[in-house]
Amino acid sequence: MITPDRSLAVRGPGPIGARGAVLLLLVGAGLWAGWALRLDPRQLWPSDGGWQLAHDFFSRAWRPALTHQAADLPAGSTPLLVQALIAAGRTVVFAAAAMLPSLVLGILLGFGGSTAWWADDRRQYRLGGLVSSLCRIFAVVLRSVHELIWAVLFLAAFGVTPLAAVAALTLPYAGTLAKVFAEMIDEAPRQAGGAFRDAGASSVQVFAFGLLPRAMPDMMAYTLYRFECALRSAAVLGFFGFPTLGFYVAASFENLYYGEVWTYLYALLILVVVVDWWSGAVRRRLLG
Amino acid sequence: MTTIARLHRQRPRSRFLRLSAWVSVLLVLGSWLASGFFQDAGWTPRRAANLQRFLGEIVPFPLQETGWDWSQAISWFMDLWGDHLGQATAMTLAISVVAILLAGAMGAMLAPWAARSFARPDPFLTSPQPASRWRRLSWLTLSLTTRLILTLLRSIPEYVWAFLLLGLFGPTAWPLVLALALHNAGILGKLTADMVDNLEQPTLAAMRGLGARRGQIALAGIIPLSMNRFLLYLFYRWETCVREATVLGMLGLVSLGYWIQDARARNHYDEMVAAMIAGALLVIVGDLVSALAREVVRRA
Repeated sequence: MITPDRSLAVRGPGPIGARGAVLLLLVGAGLWAGWALRLDPRQLWPSDGGWQLAHDFFSRAWRPALTHQAADLPAGSTPLLVQALIAAGRTVVFAAAAMLPSLVLGILLGFGGSTAWWADDRRQYRLGGLVSSLCRIFAVVLRSVHELIWAVLFLAAFGVTPLAAVAALTLPYAGTLAKVFAEMIDEAPRQAGGAFRDAGASSVQVFAFGLLPRAMPDMMAYTLYRFECALRSAAVLGFFGFPTLGFYVAASFENLYYGEVWTYLYALLILVVVVDWWSGAVRRRLLG
Repeated sequence: MTTIARLHRQRPRSRFLRLSAWVSVLLVLGSWLASGFFQDAGWTPRRAANLQRFLGEIVPFPLQETGWDWSQAISWFMDLWGDHLGQATAMTLAISVVAILLAGAMGAMLAPWAARSFARPDPFLTSPQPASRWRRLSWLTLSLTTRLILTLLRSIPEYVWAFLLLGLFGPTAWPLVLALALHNAGILGKLTADMVDNLEQPTLAAMRGLGARRGQIALAGIIPLSMNRFLLYLFYRWETCVREATVLGMLGLVSLGYWIQDARARNHYDEMVAAMIAGALLVIVGDLVSALAREVVRRA
């Protein structure tokens, strides 16, 4: 008599299945959230003032300002386009400057937090487990606070200085890089590292020559993507008083110079699109 | 010549990659020199005194004279939680949930029209007679426009969207929700479009070969095949939404960011840090929920 092997049976999806349960949960969460926020679709119809503002603002999208819109401009002030260029330059400077310490800290925490350098090696088991848990927890704390909240904290501590901006960007970015680097190192193929270990290599050697080279292209591609994010974050830091693009967007918007707002927005757009294209091209060559 | 040396010479090299590496190094070094950190990083006595004062003020107010005591610190935090932080945390969560659902809906609706394999006269299967030039051109225009819209949506940061929309809608929760939704719709739309292009094309081509129409392929092929990956992306982006929802409150609506800004304006740095801790806790819980949900979806 043949007894059916139950472990091979295809499991039916049940009444709704796990995916259905997740979808139901999403719908439920959405309903609760809409109720909690008192969201009313009728509020989406802007007031008359809102319409006027929307019209004034969006009609300038096709006509960004090329010169300052203020009528009484002090002599010798910087032309608008130069100003936009300088602000864009500062945005790049803040973002790029923050990438260096983020990368150093992220690599250290990422390596420490990965399991690849100890999980296959009994001698390292206890130490490895401890170090990698500590690194992971530290990285979680770093990225559980948003860069703009770090910025508020550092502003209070240091004032509007480049140090405050770079520190605010560095901490959460280091945490994110650490998390993703650790995952990438752990997911990279381990055969080469295992062969080195069997040949008597130390943990550091296994790591540097066996594991790291396999994870490197992914890590570089991701770092470039984070640089693109850092550009956006650096631009937004301007809203908190740092002299990047956001500062000028806010200032022009509050003066109702919508043409200038669009000029600065397009500067940011060009910046992001260029880096997006660059990182895409690098990624294709690295991983392709 | 040794084998190693020969392999070394034959390794794949790309001029573009080397140029990119040099540009990155110069960019970073140049930024360190240009931004004046070296002048700025100096440790003046005044700055040290400021920092000292600040560190004294982030200690919970009742404990500033007496010294640290965990039970008092926790009861102080719970008082703030009951007073306003708990409600603000719930608001932050609600904003992120509505935003990601809207973003998912918008992204999913825009994505197919940006996917190269879908947005063309003969999706997934090249037909024997080539489509007319006019049809090819109009599909190309549609897909380029959609991709342009997605790029525009995700290039503008959430904070800037919220800042601009506040003027439009006034003080309801909509500006924050829409700001998060628009930015994330751009990201989810692009990810989903790439995903549609990377789906198993033979399956979809077979459906077309059997005579399925565009809408039928989408409903019976694309959606079931891509649902799991889409949900993974949705939860990943939700994690960022929770972080951003905290921040957007600083523009003046009652999420946690509002209380951070409010405490800062009153120079009550202890309350500011308490609100930041509430935000961090929410983010950590959100990440755990998301990881759990992703695991369930992955197994399904």
